[in-house]
Amino acid sequence: MHRGVTFALAAASFMVAGIGVAAGNIEGIAHTCNNCHGYNGVSAGGSMPSIAGLPEAYLKNIMTEWKTGKRASANMTRLISGYTDEEIAGLAEYFSKLPWTPVAQKLDPKLIERGKQASQGCAGCHGPTGKATMAGTPNLNGQMAKYIELELLKYKDESFAMPSAMMRMVVKPLKDEDIPAIAAYYASQQ
Amino acid sequence: MSPFDRRQFIKALAAASSVPALAFPAIARAAAKGKVVVVGGGYAGATAAKYVRLLDDKIEVTLIEPNKTYVSCPLSNEVMVGHRDIKTIEYGYGGLEKRGVNVVHDFVTAVDRAKKTVTTKGGKKFAYDALVMSPGIDFTYQGIEGYSEAVVEQFPHAYKAGPQTLLLKKQLEAMKDGGVFVIVVPKAPFRCPPGPYERASLVANYFQHHGKKKSKVIILDANDSHSKKGLFNQAWAKLYGWEKEGLGTNGMIEWVKGAEGGLVTMLDAKTKTVSSDFVEVKADVLNIIPTHKAGRIAFQAELVGTSGNNFEQGWCKVEPMTMASAVDANVYVVGDACVAGEMPLYGNPGAAFDMLKSAHIAMTQAKVAAAAIVARLNGLAPPEPVYANTCYSVVGDGYGISVAHLYRVVNGTFKYVPAGSGVSMMTMPDKSPVPPIYRKLEAEYTDGWIRNVLADAFA
Repeated sequence: MHRGVTFALAAASFMVAGIGVAAGNIEGIAHTCNNCHGYNGVSAGGSMPSIAGLPEAYLKNIMTEWKTGKRASANMTRLISGYTDEEIAGLAEYFSKLPWTPVAQKLDPKLIERGKQASQGCAGCHGPTGKATMAGTPNLNGQMAKYIELELLKYKDESFAMPSAMMRMVVKPLKDEDIPAIAAYYASQQ
Repeated sequence: MSPFDRRQFIKALAAASSVPALAFPAIARAAAKGKVVVVGGGYAGATAAKYVRLLDDKIEVTLIEPNKTYVSCPLSNEVMVGHRDIKTIEYGYGGLEKRGVNVVHDFVTAVDRAKKTVTTKGGKKFAYDALVMSPGIDFTYQGIEGYSEAVVEQFPHAYKAGPQTLLLKKQLEAMKDGGVFVIVVPKAPFRCPPGPYERASLVANYFQHHGKKKSKVIILDANDSHSKKGLFNQAWAKLYGWEKEGLGTNGMIEWVKGAEGGLVTMLDAKTKTVSSDFVEVKADVLNIIPTHKAGRIAFQAELVGTSGNNFEQGWCKVEPMTMASAVDANVYVVGDACVAGEMPLYGNPGAAFDMLKSAHIAMTQAKVAAAAIVARLNGLAPPEPVYANTCYSVVGDGYGISVAHLYRVVNGTFKYVPAGSGVSMMTMPDKSPVPPIYRKLEAEYTDGWIRNVLADAFA
């Protein structure tokens, strides 16, 4: 078998913060995302999400919201603001076309059981086992547990600007102990 | 993803691309397209070896590294204060071997750039079409009278992770309450620019948790400013009683800048006392970080600058498009040994030459070099790189901060992109304090980051 070698050659030009830059090489940029999100977008670090195989519209929207200041992030708002809209679209397309890969994790069975009960409000969109049932909704099966927990904390903490009213509504009544449990439950699903 | 899927995917992506005039040229499929030798198996070298293989498995890749286990410098401060086991920052080379990298545990003694060969201590010789040099750093041990390599066990630097980290840990643990832990910081450039200040934070945190609240950390800094200074000072004020710069304050951490006596020039090993033109400090634990230069083999290969300022002399200049050495197009220098780019470093215009020396940017550089090498060996032009960096520092319990950097290549030079760069927020946009969740998230992200960079480089 041969491995295809590909490079995007720059053609069009875009402006970033007054600097004219060539567009292209989405794969090259995507490789730099792997540093934190794992090789091919599949995470090996609990607090960092896998991004391979998430819906294209979801990825594009999230990055655009960071860039335009509609969505808070402790860190991504900075790096993403340096990329062009075309690069953001290209990255969303690139990672959405990689396969969704649930990651096996060491998790507490009691927590998983509690999470199964507590996650019923999530199932409508994310599916009872984390396989999203609604277009544009991210899968949660085998997503990193710590990451899910931290996302839920962001929605619960009103000081953190998260734009989804639906998520806020569903997360608000959750007990603090339910949050790591829901995270463990979805992370355990393959 | 199988190689077949990958090719299909890229074809599909090219066809579906909404960006006009993007081209993904088809590649010739000749057998054994060339030989790549990588010298040094840290973050940069491991990543370069892996990504060359991933982009084109018809290229032969040999990685030469003396050690069988890599110990990460990032997060080694957490090992030093007992927050994590050293095993959590170690990695072997089996993952690279599985990807078809020929891993040789040996010590490179000579690079012959004219003959394009690399010779090892074990008497082996390797020919290359492209050479990746990732030798990391060495220390000069110069500038402090009474200090030399001979005393590094007594005064550990802990700036190459491993035994040195554990040595400093032991000294910290043995220090009595009321003791003084002194960190001597060399003139820039040095690897991990926030490292000494993260270390000071974690040592103060250690004092709080281990009944040593009367102890102090004193940073004697050869420089007049440092990485994430505003954020560190803010965190120190919140967590460790920081008042202001200079000696004799009430906080657990004191910082003395170069211009006010931080530039240490003398060590009295007998009394563990360091001094400069203006100050003299007696330490209980003395952590001297020596000045840095590119790794030894970069000097033998004559890839280092021999004149100019701190950022030019002793470091390897590279071409922005490819990470190729400025003096040899067949050699690519990645990681801490290179100097790359414009970076207005802490407001010091004389220091405006460097990308930060971090594991994260080292891996980005390695991926750029890998793509450029694969392009060249396939007779293609290199793709346009974008360089991204992230440095997290954990400064207290559930308290993390970071800095991000983005660089592009414009007209053949590195261009720092301020829009994609910057430190964690000091305040919210309306000037209110940053809610604790931001700091908690970044502390958590630090752990996710280390797991992923290690896996991305070595697995």
